[in-house]
Amino acid sequence: MMMMEEERERVVVVGLIEKATNSTAAEVDPRLLKAIKSVVRHSDSELRLAAQTLMNLMKRDHSQVRYLALLIIDELFMRSKLFRTLVVENLDQLLTLSVGFRRNLPLPAPPSVASVLRSKAVELLEKWNVSYGLYYRQLRLGFDHLKNTLRFQFPNLQANAVRIQQERREREMRTREILVNKFETLKETFSSIKDELQSTIDEIGECLEIVIASDEPMPLGLLDDEEMEEFRCSELRRIRLDTLKEGNKVQETSDNKVVFDALRELYRLLVTKHLVSVQEWVSVLTRVEVADNRCRDSMLKELIDIRNNLKSVKKKCEESGCSLPDTRNNEEEDIWEEGTIESFENRSSVLNYQSDDSSIASTSVKVKNKPFENRNKEADVKEKLDCEDSGTDSDPLRSKLLAEAPLMKWGSFLDSWGSKRDYLANQRGLELEGHWGRIDYDAVIPAEKIAELNVQATLYKEDPVEIQPCHAPLSKGGLCQRRDLRVCPFHGPIVPRDDEGKPINQTSLTEELTPELETNLVDHLAKQAVKNVRDRDKEKAKKREHDKQALKRAKLAKVREHNDAVLRDAALASTSRSSAIGEDVETAGGERSSARSKKQTLASMLKKKVTSKDRLAQRLLNTRARDATERQLTQGEDAKYREAFPNQW
Amino acid sequence: MWKEIRERESGKLRPNSFSNRIRSNRNSSIQLSNYKEIVSPHRGAVNSLQVDLTEGRYLLSGASDASVAIYDVQRATDYEGGGLLAKHKSLVTIDKQHEHGHKYAISSAIWYPIDTGLFITGSYDHHINIWDTNTTQMVMNFKMPGKVYRTAMSSLATSHMLIASGTEDVQVRLCDIASGAFSHTLSGHRDGVMTVEWSTSSEWVLVTGGCDGAIRFWDIRRAGCFRVLNQSHSQLGRRPPLLQRAATNKVSTSKSLSKGQSSSVKPRAPQRKMAHGNGSKQSAASKIPNLVKSSARQRLHPGLLSSQDRATAHYGAVIGLKVTGDGMYLLSAGSDSRLRLWDIESSCNTLVNFETVRLQTGKAIQLATTQDSALVFVPCMTSVKVFDVWSGTTVLTFRGHYEHVNCCWYSLQDQELYTGGNDRQILVWSPSKWNADELDEWSKKGKASALDEDNWSD
Repeated sequence: MMMMEEERERVVVVGLIEKATNSTAAEVDPRLLKAIKSVVRHSDSELRLAAQTLMNLMKRDHSQVRYLALLIIDELFMRSKLFRTLVVENLDQLLTLSVGFRRNLPLPAPPSVASVLRSKAVELLEKWNVSYGLYYRQLRLGFDHLKNTLRFQFPNLQANAVRIQQERREREMRTREILVNKFETLKETFSSIKDELQSTIDEIGECLEIVIASDEPMPLGLLDDEEMEEFRCSELRRIRLDTLKEGNKVQETSDNKVVFDALRELYRLLVTKHLVSVQEWVSVLTRVEVADNRCRDSMLKELIDIRNNLKSVKKKCEESGCSLPDTRNNEEEDIWEEGTIESFENRSSVLNYQSDDSSIASTSVKVKNKPFENRNKEADVKEKLDCEDSGTDSDPLRSKLLAEAPLMKWGSFLDSWGSKRDYLANQRGLELEGHWGRIDYDAVIPAEKIAELNVQATLYKEDPVEIQPCHAPLSKGGLCQRRDLRVCPFHGPIVPRDDEGKPINQTSLTEELTPELETNLVDHLAKQAVKNVRDRDKEKAKKREHDKQALKRAKLAKVREHNDAVLRDAALASTSRSSAIGEDVETAGGERSSARSKKQTLASMLKKKVTSKDRLAQRLLNTRARDATERQLTQGEDAKYREAFPNQW
Repeated sequence: MWKEIRERESGKLRPNSFSNRIRSNRNSSIQLSNYKEIVSPHRGAVNSLQVDLTEGRYLLSGASDASVAIYDVQRATDYEGGGLLAKHKSLVTIDKQHEHGHKYAISSAIWYPIDTGLFITGSYDHHINIWDTNTTQMVMNFKMPGKVYRTAMSSLATSHMLIASGTEDVQVRLCDIASGAFSHTLSGHRDGVMTVEWSTSSEWVLVTGGCDGAIRFWDIRRAGCFRVLNQSHSQLGRRPPLLQRAATNKVSTSKSLSKGQSSSVKPRAPQRKMAHGNGSKQSAASKIPNLVKSSARQRLHPGLLSSQDRATAHYGAVIGLKVTGDGMYLLSAGSDSRLRLWDIESSCNTLVNFETVRLQTGKAIQLATTQDSALVFVPCMTSVKVFDVWSGTTVLTFRGHYEHVNCCWYSLQDQELYTGGNDRQILVWSPSKWNADELDEWSKKGKASALDEDNWSD
C-alpha cells in the first residue's frame, strides 16, 4: 500500500516537472512551480527524484527545456539543503549543460533560447556562489573556473549593488557638505541680507506711498450699486466694472513716471532676486543637518517671516498697478494675436470683437479679487463661443456662400477679383517715353483682356489617397503592413480586412466597388449587353465542344479511378500507416490556416526560420543561375579579348 | 568507532588492525574538502604533486607554466569566512622569473626523500634541476638529451642518491647527486620513457614504462633489464599464499615443466584462449617464455631473448606506474585506457578488470595508492576514480576538476588526497572532518552570511 502510494507520488513529481518544462514560455508556470515545491518539500525521496528528473531534463536536446529545468533547479536550490548537495555533486555536468562551455558539448537549438540559457546560468551560478559558496567548494570551483579560466562575464550583482550604494552614499555626503557650507555662509551674511531685504521693502513702501498719495481713491462700490440696474446685459455690466476698476488704478503720468520706474525696478528686484533667494535659503535651512539646531530654527523662522513680508509687499505692488513690465508685454502680444485671428474669423461682428478685445485686455491687468477674475474668464470663453455662433447666425447668406465658394490659392489675380473695369495700359509701369512712335496715354486694356491674362492656372493635384495596408495575417503573428495599391505581392489582391485580418464580406464589397469604379453607368450597361450576347454565342460553341470532351473525359476518369484503386490497395497492403496519409493530407489542406495559428510548440521552436536571405540564396545560388552568370562572365571576357586582339582567332 | 576503541582498550583488537580499520573508515568517507583550500599560484596545468616523505607536511607542485610551489598542508596561511575556510597559500614559488628557473613546463617535481632541504624538478626544457628549499636557489642541474617526462628517487636508498629520469630519449638515465654526473644509462626502451618508479622493496630495482608500451625492470647493479612485463602473460587474481602455492607448484611441476612459473592450472585455459584470440604475434610471444622461462631465467638475464624483449604491457604508451607499498605488485596505466595490476614476482598480469572509462593519453599521469594498497586513485579525464585494487570495482568517483586531472597524491598521514589538473587547481579531498555538531556550533556564532539549511518560504 505504502509502495503504491509512493509510486503514485513519484509519478506526480515527474509529471509535474515534465509538464512545467514542456512549454514555450519564458517562465515556469508559477502554479506548477508551487505544486512542485509543495510536493517536494514533504519527503526527501521526492526531492531526490526531482533532482534526478531535472538533471535528465537538462540533458535534453532542446534549450527551452533546459532553460525551464534550470529555473526550477534554481528555485529548489535556494530552498533545500539536500537538493543543494545533490546538485553540487554534479555541478560540472550541470554547468556543461547550461553554460555550454565545453567545445564538444555546445548548447542545443534554438540559438536564441540557448543564449538566454547561458546568461541565466551564469547569473544563477553567481547568485548561488554568493549565497552558498561558503559551504560548497564545488560552487566556488565552478565559479572560479568560469570566471578566471574561461573569462565568462558575470553580471557581478553583488559588487554592482555595493558600488551603487557607495556612490549614493558619496553623493549624499557631498550634498550634505554643500548644504553645511551654504548654511555657514548664510550664518555669516544673514544680517547683511536681512538689511538689504529690509531696505528694498522700505523703498517699495515709500514709492507706493508717494504714488497713492498723489492720487485720490475713487469710491468704487457706491457707484457700482447705483448704476447696477442700468446695465442689464451682464456683459455690458462687466465691461463697466472693468473700466471702473481700471479707473481706480493709479494712472501713470509724466509726473509720477519716475516713481513708477523706480517702483518697477524695485519690484523686479524683489521678484527675481529676493524672493527666489529667500526661498532657496529656506529650503537650505530645512534640509541642512547641523548640530546647532536652535540657531537654525530661529533663522528659519525669521526667513519665513521675511518671505511672508516680501509676498505681501509684492501683492501690494501688483495691486498698485505696476506689475512686472515684461509679463505685461507678453500678455499684450497675446491680445494682439488673438485679436487678429478674431478679425479674420468674423469680421462682420465688429461689436463682439471689440467687447472681446476689451475683456481680454481687462484680464491682462490683475484684478483685485480672484474669484471675480475666474468668473470673468469663464464669461470670456462663453462670449467667444457666443460671438462665433452669432456670427454664423446673423449672416446665413454669407455662411451659405462660404460653404459654396471654391477654395482659391493666393495669387495676383486676387487684386482684380470681381472687378470689370478697364485698365490703363501705361499705368502698368511700362517705360513709354523713350520709345519712338505714337504714345497713347489713354490706351486701355479691356476688361476681357485682363480677365484673359488673369485666367487662373491651376496645377492638377492628385488627391492624396491613403493607401491601405494589406493587413493579411502573418504566420508569425500580426498583420502585413505592406502598402500596395491593388495587389500585395505576398497576399494577393488587397481587400478590406477586420482586426484579425479576415477579409470582410468580399462579395458585397465587390458589388459596392464596381459601380464606384465604373463611372459611366450607361457605358457599362451597353458593354454588359454586348458581352452577354457574345457570351451566349461562345457558350453554345463551348457546349458543343464540351459534349465531345465529356465523353473523352468520362473514359479517362474511369481509367484513372481504376488505377487509383489498384494503387491504394497496394499501398494499404504495404504499410498500415500509409492508409492514413491521404486523410492527413486532406485534413491538412483544410486546416492549414488553423494549423498556422496553432500554439507554438517545442518542436516548432527548433524549426529554422526561412529568412528572406535564405530565399534569395535559394534563388541566386541554384545551379542554373550560377551557370548563367558564369556563362555571361566568360562571354564578356571573350568579347573583350576578341576586341583587344582582333587579328587572332 | 567507540566500540572499536573499547575493544582496543580491552585488547581484543590489535593495534595494527585498529589503525587500519580507522584508516579505511576515513578513506571511505573522502570527499572534496570544503574547509581546506590550496591557493594555486600556477597559471598552467599542474603536472606533479608530492607531499614530502619525512614530515608529511609540505606539498610540492610543479606546473606547466614552469613554476614550482610549496605549500604547508598542515597549517593554513589564512582563514576566510569567519574561520570556516582554511586557505593554504604557497610558501615558496619559483617560476620563470627566477634566474635559474625552468623555461618550459615542469613535468615532475619531487622531494629529496631524506629531508625537505632539497627538491628536484624535471622540465620539458631538457633539464633536471636540484633546488635548495631554504634558499630557493638551484644547487645542481643535469642536461638531459630530451624533454624530461618523469623523475624519481628511491625512498629506500641508503647507498645511492640517484635520480632516475624518463625522457624523450630511449635511454633512462640515472643522475647522481653526489657526483653531479650520469651514473647509469639504461637502454632497452624503443621509445621515450614516460614513467619511472623505484621499487618499494629493493633499493636497486627500478621500473620504467615507455611510450613503446613496455614496462621494464632494471637492477642497477647489473647491466640491462632483467624483466619485461607481458600483457598476455597472466594469472587470475592474487597469488595464493605461500603454502598453497607450494602445493600447487608441486602439482604443476609434476604435470608439466613448461608451465612451471604459473600459479595454478585453472587460469591456464582461459589465458590460452585469450592469447590465441589476440592474434598470432601475441600468442607466439606468450608461448616462448612459457617454454624457456623457468629453466632459462637465470641464464637469460643480461640479455633477454629478443622475442621476450619485445613484449608489451600496454597497447599504447605506459603513462603511469605505481608500485604498491609492499613492493609486491605494480599498477600500470596505459594510453589504451587500461589499468593493469601486475604481480612483480611472477611478472604476470593479474587480469583484474578495472572499470576504467577513459584515461588521458597525451601526458603521464600520477597514480596514488592507500597505505595498505587496498585502493588506488586514478585520474580519469576530469574526475579521479578510486578503485579497489584487488577487485577492480569503482569505489568512489571524485568530480571536482573542470579539466583533465594529471596527478594525485595520497597523504598517508592525513588520509588526504591532493589532485592537480589542467584547470590549474589543486584540490584537497579529505575525510569528512566536520560533523554536524561542530557546524551547528559554528553557525550559532552567527558568522555565516546565509546559513546552509532548508529555506522553504512557501
